[in-house]
Amino acid sequence: MHLITCPWCGPRDEAEFAYRGDATVARPAADAGIDAFYDYVYTRANPRGWHTEWWHHAAGCHQFVKVVRHTLTHAIAATGKPTDTLPVPAE
Amino acid sequence: MSAPESRPAPEPRSPLAGHLKPGRHGAAGSRPLVLREVPATIVELAARRGRAAELAAAVRGALALDLPPPGRGAAAAGATALWIQPDTWLVVAPRGTEGALAAHLKGVAGAAGSVVDQSHGKTLLHLAGADARAALGKGCRIDLDPAAFGPGRAAVTQMAQVGCVLYQHDDVPSFSLIVPSSYAIPFFDWLCHSAAEFGYEVP
Repeated sequence: MHLITCPWCGPRDEAEFAYRGDATVARPAADAGIDAFYDYVYTRANPRGWHTEWWHHAAGCHQFVKVVRHTLTHAIAATGKPTDTLPVPAE
Repeated sequence: MSAPESRPAPEPRSPLAGHLKPGRHGAAGSRPLVLREVPATIVELAARRGRAAELAAAVRGALALDLPPPGRGAAAAGATALWIQPDTWLVVAPRGTEGALAAHLKGVAGAAGSVVDQSHGKTLLHLAGADARAALGKGCRIDLDPAAFGPGRAAVTQMAQVGCVLYQHDDVPSFSLIVPSSYAIPFFDWLCHSAAEFGYEVP
């Protein structure tokens, strides 16, 4: 079982959450062109290691939670609100 | 075209009417759980963007009710407010005149908040007894140990795969459970199965 600490609700089971993808991609400017938008929508790094991602607390407070998760061990280093900047461990 | 006929709104109907079997069920024991449906008015109250403090002050003034912070509920004489998501609460009161609480809250909130009457869509159950935590624990993923969850705590979670708002009233412990009315029968059946080993009473 995975415990994800929601900044509002506290530690909750992962079953209450829906994974909503990479939280590091930034939306390009409206005039950035088709290639920039292709990358924004489709191109992902698929890292082996720490990854900052979105989890939606769908069965709880319905808020998006930012989570720094290790893709190999599933360890969670930090969670926060969408506007938080979370520290990513070096390794 | 003539104006539509004005009719009073229908009274909420219990989804458990005819399903509840009053009496003593499950194992024999000296301290049965008490499980019942509570007729209630349930109104969702949400602050408009940036106006939570204004809404809280208005509700405090009109209902003597403090809108609680995340993870908590607050009880006043006539109503209980439960935090369900940022700047959003459920206001729970004994069943009264259809729509009256929502209309009252709308008047209180003014432009600072949005009000949705959920009385028909949600069903309030009450479970009390020394073994209530153990009965709920079979389907609940949050820690109900007294060290982690005590009187005044509220949580939106899933119980037995059903979305549920949980509120602990006291140290008995007694809990309020708010579930979608369309899931009230399977949720109630699960609760009965879960409580059977301790024995339970439906008043």
